[in-house]
Amino acid sequence: MASSSPSDLENPHATCSYAPLPGGTGDEPTVSRHPKKSAAIFLVCAFLSLAFVVALIGVDKAELNTNEAAVVLSRGRGVDKGVSEKSFRPLLGAENSYPWSSNMLDWQRTGFHFQPKNNWMNDPNGPVFYKGWYHLFYQYHPDAPVWGKIVWGHAVSKDLVNWRHLPIAMETDQWYDEQGVWTGSATILPDGQLVVLYTGSTNESVQVQNLAYPADPSDPLLINWVKYPGNPVLVPPPGIDEKDFRDPTTAWKTPEGKWRITIGSKVNKTGISLVYDTEDFKSFELLDQVLHAVPGTGMWECVDFYPISKQGENGLDTSIDGPGVKHVVKASMDDDRNDYYSIGTYDALKGKWTPDNPASDVGIGLRYDYGIYYASKTFYDQDKQRRVLWSWIKETDTEASDISKGWASLMGVPRTILLDKKTQTNIIQWPVEEINRLRTNATVFKNLVVEAGSLVPLELPAASQLDIVAEFELDEATVMRLNDVSDADVAYDCAKNGGAATRGALGPFGITVLAHEGLIEHTPVYFYVAKGVDGNLKTFFCADQSRSSSAMDVDKSIYGNVVPVMKGEKLSMRILVDHSIVESFAQGGRTCITSRVYPTKAIYNNAQVFLFNNATAATVTASLSIWQMKSAQI
Amino acid sequence: MNFSSPLTILFTLLLLHETLYSTMADQKFVENTCKGTPSPNLCLKILLANPKSQNSDLTDLALIGVAAVEDKGLEIIRQIVALKRSSPKLTPTLNHCEEAYHAVVYADVPSSNEALRGGMAKFAEDGMADSAVESQSCERSFREHGWVSPMTDLNKAMNDVANVVRAIIRMLL
Repeated sequence: MASSSPSDLENPHATCSYAPLPGGTGDEPTVSRHPKKSAAIFLVCAFLSLAFVVALIGVDKAELNTNEAAVVLSRGRGVDKGVSEKSFRPLLGAENSYPWSSNMLDWQRTGFHFQPKNNWMNDPNGPVFYKGWYHLFYQYHPDAPVWGKIVWGHAVSKDLVNWRHLPIAMETDQWYDEQGVWTGSATILPDGQLVVLYTGSTNESVQVQNLAYPADPSDPLLINWVKYPGNPVLVPPPGIDEKDFRDPTTAWKTPEGKWRITIGSKVNKTGISLVYDTEDFKSFELLDQVLHAVPGTGMWECVDFYPISKQGENGLDTSIDGPGVKHVVKASMDDDRNDYYSIGTYDALKGKWTPDNPASDVGIGLRYDYGIYYASKTFYDQDKQRRVLWSWIKETDTEASDISKGWASLMGVPRTILLDKKTQTNIIQWPVEEINRLRTNATVFKNLVVEAGSLVPLELPAASQLDIVAEFELDEATVMRLNDVSDADVAYDCAKNGGAATRGALGPFGITVLAHEGLIEHTPVYFYVAKGVDGNLKTFFCADQSRSSSAMDVDKSIYGNVVPVMKGEKLSMRILVDHSIVESFAQGGRTCITSRVYPTKAIYNNAQVFLFNNATAATVTASLSIWQMKSAQI
Repeated sequence: MNFSSPLTILFTLLLLHETLYSTMADQKFVENTCKGTPSPNLCLKILLANPKSQNSDLTDLALIGVAAVEDKGLEIIRQIVALKRSSPKLTPTLNHCEEAYHAVVYADVPSSNEALRGGMAKFAEDGMADSAVESQSCERSFREHGWVSPMTDLNKAMNDVANVVRAIIRMLL
């Protein structure tokens, strides 16, 4: 690193908009030999800083919107010092942590993410669109904010955003689900009939599959349910442990006209997916071959199997097959608590699926999301012809906090799934468009030039419920220069490279949310561009929780992954901020990260958003639209 | 039965040998299990203290472990109550600790037990992971408020037991 730039006090020509970030070793300017002169210069600079800040606040938003000329709003400390390392470095040593006040805990509840009024939720179950309503069932523990004897909670919506909570759909009232009404899926038959297959944990804790259907199919709210008297319809087959047999999928049609489902399991450490055919959902035939298996991946929970269109822009009914179609196999890995998927080819005659790229197979390749995201499940929305993905987002705070606040877990924002036509090797996920109806009160920034090592406060009316869409461009000259000259970066890894505090020539840069004005707490979401060993530039997309809270009893991991960037594409991100959940999407949904964030200070009116560029060399030009998000009925 | 018959003696010896061998084999299983935990000696102490460990599979061993966490948690709650009487100025911090251990005993432990019985080991792992975090949260809260912790040994004990049990549970995944 080059030597540090001269301090402001000794160089009166330095930008006087500099306002030092708090508490910093190395932040303090060196003492001048002329105290009186220094004091005068300092006062002038302080006045000008104040004037600048006042002017910034007073700027008419409309002017900003229409002014396309590059606006320099750098609050830089000088390129080499970067944005205060103390702000980005993970907290070391104890700080004054607070016991959780009810104020802090109350703030954590979301404005527009699905969650029951209280207690514990986990996997989404049986999502379906039926007689004009979207239904969401979910694993629910009504007695405490912790997992326990689980029942099916139930809610309905017209738009996947505003919800009406309904009575419990299924309780643990039979011997075959006495220990839990566990995860299952819904299938709509061609005649419009709805059936549900779900896992029951029996009175002896054996995992079995059961059939259930609406008590009154003409009731669009599907309030009451009937369990088939002949349950269970499936018990663990020979060779499968009685505790490794759960989460039946939605059924799809076979070439013979039968229905086919798949159920995840394992044999030793090999994750597998068993295949069953049925004509009536009451008696089943186990196929000799599994749908697929991957050694070393452990138990496959919540398996999902569905077609995606190679060319089209719509989702596909689960039974669709043909030359224009690829199939996705997804499973939740019990071992590492992440959801993995792979794109491949389904052989309907054999009931087998093969990945396009075995190196990116189920459980070892791509994840739906690089943060907290598990037990996800899709359904085909025949009304809007899209495939929609739901997922369970757990808490990453302590159980004591969950007990204090009275609830635990959220559902992620529902996302549509499509094949990424440009890369062909991954899917793209995007929040359902109905979420956009919550947008209000837009603030737009165009072509902000953010020098290396600077931080730009973004003036917003509030910052706990936001939809941020941003585009970034690195300055060509620096990129070219570094491309020719520099050696490959040691392989970058969002989780292991120190987060937004670690500076490279071309990153990190992005947006920090749920930020306290002194950056005592903040959550940066950013791109980091690095040179790979093959000489090409690689772009990483990360979300950094290491400084998200002063509290020491919450998870402070850094999440993220590489994101493919095609030639000519600008770097783009979308961030949904909703109190204690932040969902980040890069390049239109190629890489997604869900974070749980529990600030103690950056809450209510003290939450802010900053734009930053902590790179050492490159300048970044950013354009952003930030909407306030209205609260939904949740 | 003719007790002095060679056949009887042989039979009795064989029976003893089988029992001994079986007990040694189970002891080996417990020892091997404990080798896979961060504190093998503590693990052995906990598991062997329960005679059922001689006839246990991995799930049963994990359940013995969770019971040990519960016992330790209850002991710690009793100590907290006593400390509130003897050191009333520590009450706010002790209240925080009480909440933490309340979570361990009344939420994490029952959830972990239910999860182990049902074959949902991952929730049991989460319960034990949280138990360790709660003990750290309690210990830290003294330091943060400028007090010397009167509970260091207790908090460390909980942290260590919880981490041992968590390691056993991971073997089930």
